Formats: sequence, C-alpha cells, structure tokens
Amino acid sequence: MLRFALTRIVMAIPTLLIVAVSVFVLIRLIPGDPASLMLGDLATPASLADLRARLGLDQSLPVQFAIWFGNLLKGDLGISISSQQPILPLIVSRFWVSAQIVLVAVLLASLVAVPAGLIAAWKQDSALDIGLVALATLLLSIPTFWLGLLLLLFFGLKLGWLPVVGYVAIGDDPWRGLVYLVMPIMTLFLHEIGVLLRMARASTLEVLRLDYITHARAKGLSEMAVLWRHAFKNAFGPTWTLIGLVLGNLLGGIAVVETVFTIPGLGRLLVDSIFARDYPVIQGCMLFIAFTYVLVNLVIDLCYPLFDPRVTAQ
Amino acid sequence: MNRLLAGACLLPLLAGPALAQSLTVAVQADVRSINPGVNRDDGTDDFVLQMVEGLVGYDEGGTPQPLLAEKVDVSADGKTYTFTLRQGVKFHNGAELTSADVLWNWTRYMDPKTDWRCTSEFDGRAGLKVESVEAPDARTVVMKIDKPNALFLDTMARTDCAMTAIIHKDSLKADGSFDKPIGTGPFKLGEWKRGEYFTMSAFEGYASPKTDGKIDGYVGSKRPLVKDVKFLVVKDPATITAGLTSGAIDLSEILASDVQELRKQPKLEVVTASTAVRQVLLIQTRDAVMGNLKLRQAIAAALDMGEVVAAASDNIGETNTSPIYSRSAYFGPVEKQGLKYDPARAKKLLAEAGYKGEKISILANKRPRVPSFPAAVVVQAMLQAAGINAEIEVLDWATQLDRYNKGNYQMQSFSFSARFDPAIAFEQFAGNKDKQPRKVWDNPEALAKIDRLMTLSDRAERQKLVDELHKQVIEDVPLIFMFNGVDAIAHSKRIKGFQPWQSKLRMWEVTAN
Repeated sequence: MLRFALTRIVMAIPTLLIVAVSVFVLIRLIPGDPASLMLGDLATPASLADLRARLGLDQSLPVQFAIWFGNLLKGDLGISISSQQPILPLIVSRFWVSAQIVLVAVLLASLVAVPAGLIAAWKQDSALDIGLVALATLLLSIPTFWLGLLLLLFFGLKLGWLPVVGYVAIGDDPWRGLVYLVMPIMTLFLHEIGVLLRMARASTLEVLRLDYITHARAKGLSEMAVLWRHAFKNAFGPTWTLIGLVLGNLLGGIAVVETVFTIPGLGRLLVDSIFARDYPVIQGCMLFIAFTYVLVNLVIDLCYPLFDPRVTAQ
Repeated sequence: MNRLLAGACLLPLLAGPALAQSLTVAVQADVRSINPGVNRDDGTDDFVLQMVEGLVGYDEGGTPQPLLAEKVDVSADGKTYTFTLRQGVKFHNGAELTSADVLWNWTRYMDPKTDWRCTSEFDGRAGLKVESVEAPDARTVVMKIDKPNALFLDTMARTDCAMTAIIHKDSLKADGSFDKPIGTGPFKLGEWKRGEYFTMSAFEGYASPKTDGKIDGYVGSKRPLVKDVKFLVVKDPATITAGLTSGAIDLSEILASDVQELRKQPKLEVVTASTAVRQVLLIQTRDAVMGNLKLRQAIAAALDMGEVVAAASDNIGETNTSPIYSRSAYFGPVEKQGLKYDPARAKKLLAEAGYKGEKISILANKRPRVPSFPAAVVVQAMLQAAGINAEIEVLDWATQLDRYNKGNYQMQSFSFSARFDPAIAFEQFAGNKDKQPRKVWDNPEALAKIDRLMTLSDRAERQKLVDELHKQVIEDVPLIFMFNGVDAIAHSKRIKGFQPWQSKLRMWEVTAN
C-alpha cells in the first residue's frame, strides 16, 4: 500500500512539472501585465519600465522561470505582486476556507445522494424514481451562482435567518463561523446531490441487471440483503470515483459560490489574481490545485479496496 | 425540534445590522496596501486618505487648497512655496505636527526605496523638480522648485500620490519598513483582514480644518462623527443589493442599472453624482482607416450623444463632450458647445472621406461598474445606422489596457481616470505618439499650448487656452468625449450627511442613528 502510494506521488511529479511550465508560459502569453494594470491609464513608458524592473518582469522569460523554479524547489512560491504577501501561507489559508465548505458539502451530498440513487434504481420507473431523477436533473441544471442567490434571497432576505454578507473564520468564532457557512455549503450540497444521485442510480441499475443479482434473488435473499450486500458494494465504485473527481474539482476553487457569499477562498484568490495578472499567485494556485487533485484521487484509489475486494492497491 | 427552532430564531440576531454609530460599507475590492501612495489603486487611496492628510488637498471642485497648511504663499517668481502649518494638528499617536515631520516625509518620499507612486513627479523626470525643502521654524516649510509650474500644488494634492501625506516617523518599524499609517486624518486604522474587510475608528484628537459641517472635497469640515467604519469586500453586485436591502450593509456603490430598483426600497436612499472620470471613444489616428479626418468627423456627427449617454449610463449620466470636467471652474460656455448630432453632415462627410465600408473595430470591456460595453453597443448601432461598418471586440480589462498602451486599436470605448486641472486633463491624451503610443492627440500646435498651460498661473489666460484647445480637439476628433462618470451610492436612511464625490466614500461628517 505504502509503495503504491509513493509510486503514485512520484508519478505525479512530471504532471506537476508540466503544469508549472505551461501555466508559467500561458499566463504570460495573455496580453497585459501587472505593471500596466497598477499604473492604469497614466502609465508612461518610463514609469512602466521602472515598475517592471522592480517586479522583475524586465528579465527574459527563461531567467524569470529559472528564478521562480529555483525558489519553488526550496518551497518558496514567492511574493504576491498585488498584496505583497508570501504566497504559500496565503494559498494555504484560502484553501482551508474553501476546503471546509467543499468537504462538508460533498460529504452531506454523498450521504444523501448515494442511498437515494440506490433506491431510485431499485424502484426503477416508479413515481419515486421519476421524482428523484427529476429532482436531480433540476438541481444539476441550476447554475450554482443562481442557486446561491436564490438561497441568499430566501434565507437571508426574506426569512432573515442567515447573514447575507460577510465571513467569520471558524477558528475565530466557531458558532458564528458555522452560521456564515450554512448557505455556501447548502448551495454546493444541493448541486452535488444532482451529480452524485444520477451516477449512483446509473451504476446501481447496471449492477442490478447482472446475473449474480438474479442468482441472489433466486436463492431467496431478502431485497435488503441483495441491495446492501451484493448490489451496493459493486455499484458504489463508479460513484466513489466521481466523488474523487468532484472533490478534486471543487477543492481547486469554488469561485462562483465564494463570490456570491463573500467567502475569501482559493477560487476567489485565483480569479482575482488572473484579473490582476498577479503571475506568482496564479502559478502558485495552479500548482497547488494540481497537487491537491493528484492527492485527492490517490486517496480515493487507496480507499477502493475497503469496499471492493477485487481491487487491490498493488 | 425546539432547540432547532430556538437556534433559527437566534440567527437573525447574528445577521442583523451593526450597532448604531458603527457602519458597514461594502467595497468591491480589498485595499492593496496601507502605505500611502505605495502599491495603490483608487480604492486603496480612498481608504488611506481617511487616515492621512497632506499639506494641500483638493476642494470639491478639484482645486488644491491648504489642508495641513494654514496658508501657502508663492513667491513672485513662482519658484518658492512657503507653507505655514496649522497649529494644534496631532498625529494619531498624540504627537504634534511640526515642520520637521514634513522634512522627514519628503526625504522618505524622494528615496527610491520607498516606492512612492509620485517620486518621478517631483525629481525632474516628469518636468517638475523640487530643488530644496527647508524648515526655518517649527511651523514653516519652504519648498523651492526649478521653474514656475502651475501644477505643483495640484500634483502634491493628487490622490494617487496619497496627497503627499505627512505621516509620523513611528509609522515605520525599527528596520525602516512600513508598519501602519500614523497620520493626522479623521480616522485611525483599525483592523485589516486581507481579502475580507478593513476597519477604521474615529480619531478623537482630530483637528478639522473647518468645523461648520460643510463638506468640501478633502479640505472642508472633516469631523469623524461615527465611532467606527467597517469596509467589507463584496464582489457580487447582487449580493450588495441583498445586503443593502437586508440592512447588513449600510452603504455601498451600486450599479447604475440598480438605481431605479433600489430607489423603491423604503429603508434606502440612493444618491448619484457626477465625477471627473471621462468616458471616451479613443481613435487611433495612425490607423489606415481612422487616419482619415473626414471619417472621424463623420463618426462624431453620427452620434446622438444624448441617446448614447442615456443608454450607457441608465439615464443617470449627463452629456459632456469636452475634455474638461463639467463641474470644473474651467467648464465655461465654450466647453458646453461640444459635438453636434447631424446625420446629414455625417453622410456628406462619409462621402467626402471616400469611405467604402471598411470594418472598424471598437474595443470594449465588460467590467460591471464601467460603461465601456453598453456605450460601445449604442455607438455601434448609431454608426451602423449611418452606414459605417462598426464591430465590437470585447476584451478583458488588462488586455484592453495593454492595447491602449501600445496604441494597437482602431477605436476603444475607454475611461480616463479623474483629473481636475485642465492642463493634466489635456496632457492625459495628448503627446508624442512615437514616444508614448498611448497618446491619441499629437497636433504640434495643441501640444505647444498644453505645455504653456502647464506653466501659466493667470486664470483668464488659462481659460483662453483651454477654450482654444477644446475647439481644436472637437475639430481634430482624435477621440470623442461622451460623458463624465457617475457615482451611484445607496445607503440606509439611518445614515445622514453622506455626500458622494469622485468615487470616494468620505466617512467624515457622516452620522448614523
């Protein structure tokens, strides 16, 4: 198991290297640079040259990359051009904010969607199945920014139960922090239910059509035993993979939800940095997101044998 | 179940409005730094200038007036400025302001290590050079410049220069790095949680330049009347609207498109005010197609500016086709006579230009609070109606700015940042294109007049030059001015005394019940 994990991590190094190089090059291919944005419409060639030199943007791209990569190998992602903050602690603190929302929302969505998908498949074509599929399709179709705004207007404005704007860190005040996270979590939770329910239903349907399920039923096993002992474990594989992909995607930033609910998370940091052409932060964020993606999917793969003995971590 | 209900009932208490005398103001972006004039943008200047002040500052009309100075005397040769400091002005740490503080600040600003935005404005690189700064006594500062310059005080008062703010030495750490602004402004720095909010609290020892309650730019009555103010970073305009309606936000800039809707809210008041920002259509006169003067004049004649402005500003803007800000003292009868909508003339000019339907691309961006795109859409429709093949190319702001700096475009729907003095207002777009590709007007005669305007102090002579330049720019059409920017602010009715001005959220003389 340990060897497998280490191998996967080592295999991720070329991926991260490709991400590092491509992000570094691509972001510089986009017109505009942080110096001209900072100086705005009054930039003179001299003031632009001054600022570019101060930011180290006057050096050739290979030199800039060598400096950045050299620091990266020492664990230093550099300093933000916009805020002058060290980037690694900035990313970690913003990631933690996003991760709280994502992990709770995906956990809750899984707990609801997987059994619901199982039941929908079991009761295929019944009113319950049609209702669940319709609900999942509806939730999946609503963009998160609109769903978030609807929740905000209903629970924040109409009922006045939840705060409309602001953010309090859980570490500063656990109860108030939780209150501020309710709507962002609810938004993601509702959206992800749609995604996971459809997958859980589809994979269960596939398994329920297999011969060994018919055999189990023919043996006289109860429906509960057939579903839980035989169908669920085999049908859960694809959903588990999807949970990994969803987690990887969402941990990379939930910029839209963060913008609607004024959450200072990783997604907002990345989007703001792109608009500000804050190259070091963009590079740091993308590398961190790629690493998180690799790590989450590794954890997902390592967990496979726990519920599917056919899969081994060898 | 009962616990759940009880919990739900407690939530509104947590979400409710802040205590009286504490205000929550929504802003679009976090401040870049709290170091005056260093690593800045407009929002940063706005916050910092509530805490620090300079020797001079802008009044409501954009004219520099004494602020920390009681008076400014200029020598007959126009090269020596003597600032007499106001008595009893204190820094936030209780220390009294003296001329030694001014000297220390000037030395710091001129040190390249400080990275002050405006060092190059005073060291000769931009034409103006401060040769010496002396403090003959504790209340007097004497500054000598190399040659007469009408813009010296204006440059000192510029908000992007952080008003050349005077801060206390203790604003720096022992190692010389910046710590926090200990200024003389009406508010003191509170807490800054990056990416979330920044706060300031009333400075009880503040010595207001005036105490009559009349706000006048940065120099009138500036008493801090609320206990503290929290600036909350809220990006999404819809969230701001919800926050204002719920009472979680007391005051915020809003979209022009939200003005009518929020005016219907009984607990809110919406105020609008013109700013010195100018919405323009830039034209690249070196482009093969746009180099044709007749074509440019045809474009100008084809635009029904009243309609353009109404549509682009959601009916809250006023047409102004002059480079001069409509509230400026220099905005006279001549400046009011701008472009005229004349479709017949446009048709005639197009024929004279020999225009054969060549494509004309208008660059625009979709920043939510900037009317670049809506203005471009209306302009495109009007040009197409006149037989001009206009297209819109939407870019992100950074890319458009890059194209502007390189002069790489045919037309752009663009915004010029606020500039009060007419010399700077013209200089902003006029100059040698070979040296600065961003410049759009390189008429040598006009450039000579602008140079003269920079040095002239006589009001009547300056007005004459401004009038001539205004007429010339209308004739040459290197760009088309459409309207001044408009601030749209919504605030709770519990707030009294707030006045929008140049997109600055001035919190002095504001009360809350």
